[in-house]
Amino acid sequence: MKTSRLMKLLILLTAVAMLLAACPAPMPASDSGSGAADTGDSMAGDFKVGLVTDVGRVNDRSFNQSAWEGVVAAAEALGLAEDDIKYIETQDAKDYADNMQQFIDADYNVIVSVGFALGDATTTAAKENPDVFFIGVDQFQGEAMPNVAGLIFNEDHSGYLAGVLAGSLSKTGTIAAVLGTDLVPPVVAFNEGYIAGAKSVNADINVISTYHPGEISQAFVDPEWGAATAKQALDQGADVIFGAGGITGNGALQEVATADGAGEAVFCIGVDTDQWNTVPAAQPCLISSAMKLITPGVVELVTMASEGEFPGGNYFGDADLAPFHDFDDMVPQELKDLLEETKAGLIDGSIDTGYGN
Amino acid sequence: MSKNAPVSAFHRLRRRYGNTMIVALALIIMAILVNMTPLKEQTWLRVLFGVSALNFTLRATVPLVLGALSGILCERSGIINIGIEGMMLAGAFAGFVAKTSTNHWSLAASLIFSVAAAVAVGGLMGAVHALFSIRFRMDQIISGTVIIILALGTTSYLYNRDAIAEGKFSSIPIPGLAQIPVLGPVLFDNPPITYLALIMVAVVHLGLFYTRWGLRTRAVGEHPRAADTVGINVNRYRYINTSLGGMLAGLAGAFLVLEAVGQFQEGMTAGRGFISLAAMIFGNWNPIGALGAATLFGYTQALQNELLLAGVTQVPRQFISMLPYVVTIVAVSGLVGRVRPPAAEGKVYETEGSA
Amino acid sequence: MATATSTAGLTRTLRALLIPSLALLAALLAGAVVMILSGDDPMAAYSGLFKGAFGDGKGWARTIRKTIPFVLTGLSVALAFKVSLFNIGASGQFVMGSVFAVAVGINFEGLPFYIHLPLALLAGIAGGLLWGAIPGILKVYTGAHEVIVTIMLNYVASLFGGWTVYAGGTQGQTPGPLWDRTAGAISETPDVLHSAQIPWLFGPPYRVHYGVFLALAAAILVWWLIFKTPLGFEMRTVGHNMRAARYAGIRVNFTIILTMALAGGLAGLAGAIETLGLNHKFAPEFGGAVGFDGITVALLGQTHPIGVLLAAFMFGALDGGAATMQFESGVPADIIQIIQALVLAFVAAPLIIRMIFRLRQQEDQDAGSAVSTSWGGT
Repeated sequence: MKTSRLMKLLILLTAVAMLLAACPAPMPASDSGSGAADTGDSMAGDFKVGLVTDVGRVNDRSFNQSAWEGVVAAAEALGLAEDDIKYIETQDAKDYADNMQQFIDADYNVIVSVGFALGDATTTAAKENPDVFFIGVDQFQGEAMPNVAGLIFNEDHSGYLAGVLAGSLSKTGTIAAVLGTDLVPPVVAFNEGYIAGAKSVNADINVISTYHPGEISQAFVDPEWGAATAKQALDQGADVIFGAGGITGNGALQEVATADGAGEAVFCIGVDTDQWNTVPAAQPCLISSAMKLITPGVVELVTMASEGEFPGGNYFGDADLAPFHDFDDMVPQELKDLLEETKAGLIDGSIDTGYGN
Repeated sequence: MSKNAPVSAFHRLRRRYGNTMIVALALIIMAILVNMTPLKEQTWLRVLFGVSALNFTLRATVPLVLGALSGILCERSGIINIGIEGMMLAGAFAGFVAKTSTNHWSLAASLIFSVAAAVAVGGLMGAVHALFSIRFRMDQIISGTVIIILALGTTSYLYNRDAIAEGKFSSIPIPGLAQIPVLGPVLFDNPPITYLALIMVAVVHLGLFYTRWGLRTRAVGEHPRAADTVGINVNRYRYINTSLGGMLAGLAGAFLVLEAVGQFQEGMTAGRGFISLAAMIFGNWNPIGALGAATLFGYTQALQNELLLAGVTQVPRQFISMLPYVVTIVAVSGLVGRVRPPAAEGKVYETEGSA
Repeated sequence: MATATSTAGLTRTLRALLIPSLALLAALLAGAVVMILSGDDPMAAYSGLFKGAFGDGKGWARTIRKTIPFVLTGLSVALAFKVSLFNIGASGQFVMGSVFAVAVGINFEGLPFYIHLPLALLAGIAGGLLWGAIPGILKVYTGAHEVIVTIMLNYVASLFGGWTVYAGGTQGQTPGPLWDRTAGAISETPDVLHSAQIPWLFGPPYRVHYGVFLALAAAILVWWLIFKTPLGFEMRTVGHNMRAARYAGIRVNFTIILTMALAGGLAGLAGAIETLGLNHKFAPEFGGAVGFDGITVALLGQTHPIGVLLAAFMFGALDGGAATMQFESGVPADIIQIIQALVLAFVAAPLIIRMIFRLRQQEDQDAGSAVSTSWGGT
């Protein structure tokens, strides 16, 4: 056959091209999978911490990553060996129980399960394994069990603070929120707090907020929708945009960062962590972030478990606004004072966000 | 005689490009009316025809029309391309990898290089599809499915989430035209790939219908035996067209990563390749028809978002979100006997005597 | 079946097994190359994979549990292939099956299990049947290609499923009809009543239920339908040559709609079994990803019910071992997806396999069915 040599060449070329395409991509992150520094020797070998992600990857620049960083930090503080902390990335919601079972079978002492969707599987596993400590991120505990700590947050509080900030900064009288899905309670809490906070400083403010329209598997990983929706909100006159929904929200932040007047007339507010650090591309507009501090919460709980003083039931982590970074000068002192007062009011209960009533 | 001319011209347009053109035209006229008159005080009209809705429409249309053009190129030459989704994703990933490895270059150079990488990898995927379909006689729909699954798995496996693409394309207003009210900000104040996509519609249209290459491509897709007899190398045309189609899908991927978002995300094409296919069919394998269809689908996505943002309806949001998909189904089923795919599509062509 | 033990039958069976086995081998090798190139250890990965799938009782349990839905979605796609229809909609049909089954499963308290459970399973089949019939009907009466329609219906089903358990919005949106009021803001149904749950064959931590036998029975039933009934003969004739079938007086339109409906019913049954046997509730995150894998399973099984069983088992093992693979070796589970895609590529293009392993061309054409019947305008 005349063409056969040409074909072999083509196949070879394809193969080479595929390899080349693979090469510039740095090592897959799995190498950092067990990344705790082998610093101490105090507890190595007899205290092991495992983490089961929600469907997705451990380095998702979102809540899975925050929780894993908490495990890594705790391991460093406690001097655990590299092999004593591991994670399993969940591929399918049906696998939550199986993945936890892997750690139980390998005699892990603490299992961190990330996301409210793992709540049922965590409770079941905890009942069957009373000797293992479970940390359930975003998992509200209806009835307290001694070996399960639900690390939860008052997202409505930090959302409320973000709303006060946005409502005070807005010149156009329109602000927006671009959100993950309302099938997930914490996202709703952020949004309800945001709206209430904005209305508390400007009763007439127009808040246009929308949840991702798609299914749950897409809602947090659709940056294109986040960006397009942020643009849409800008077109409708919004000048502060709250992006709350994992990578979807990050898409919104990046869109605002490249808009006309970013950082002068239009601003964005991030979510979960201080996104000044996690999404550098958003820095031109990122005035603050409505945080729920998963990482320190996980560190605290893992440490307590290692000391045998594990608090069963609900454990509230910090929910607060992130620093203003480069925009510090643009936030007037009276607004800073107002935010401090509001925060105090939220903590002592004199201010009610209206969420959950 | 002059009385009939506009009517028959309209008929010709309609016959040629289908009802999609009428949809697009009606949209533009209504938009101008609503945005320039007191009608814009009406919430419902603003939802339907506001500038934000139109901007969203164009933005959603770009990847769809590029995908549809990709499908047209392949299918006009007789190769079914269901793998547009995978080619787009591979292109997006390649664009991202190229961008992150050239962050230290000047922004323009880095972006242009990344677009080239995306287009090249898209073309490569197209070539693989052609190779599977022609050389290995794999069923073309299955080959497309393989392309999709392979692209999904490989990009997720290789994606380095710590890599950051610095910068993306920003808008380039066209002097003069951008000042036109309503149409200016929507059509003439866009980033480059959006312009390029619209230009590609014209290029593919002219190429298919007014060049020798186009004539031969269509001959190969309609009647390969006849084409072969007059000395056209059937499979060569199919390889070339499928690769070109892959390149257009790669460009759609570049749009997503380098223009729309500025970052890669696993599975970020999110079904756009499939809706492109529907746009191709609804547009009757015609580039301008496909543009009309893609605009319609883009518009339903915009509408879905506008309705949610405005909060004007109590219909559960899941039903509003079904809009683009239901419209797609209605579009492809409302065509009894009206569309006709290239006749030789999906069939392996073997020259006389070879076996 | 008895004749299959004859020598000729045995040779044929062996030949049918040859290409898929070599395809699997080639895919595993290619997967190893990808891993080496990206700095992972393929030996550690594959030994972890094997250990996770077959290492102990729990491993076997995982593999079997995961095989069940693959069998049914694989059969769904394979049945449609027999009629030259491409059912990409198994995941939507799976979701509809889950939703319908759970709707029966959480209601009708007090029914005895021998009525409640079959009723819930039938409801699941009905949900899938309905979702499969739509593309069949549209194809016959409007010429809309089932590939586009089934893909779009997947999205619609997913959104519909989300709506049924939607916890409601704070701006007056009403909650979905199946939402569990006691779950607070969480979007999920209540637990399926005990009388509608498929009983355990091996209880926790193994969690293998009697659905295994339902899947086996479905495979036998589909085999019988395709090869032993007049209807099956009509299906195969339509799949082989639609025009000839029409001349022969076969009700082509009826066959197409019926086949799509039955394919949907099989995927719906998969959803029902997963819901009633394993999840015991429906939530948006229990999507129908196994539906898409059904395509690969069907092709790997050469669209033959027995082949589908074997292919599903292989997929069950790959998925069942994935978590252990990551646990032991740190290799992300995405590599499984790459391997699955490569298996599909090699099976669908036996020529590649022949070239790699230097096999001689067979005189008869390969079993891979032709589905590219174009987009079907008229």
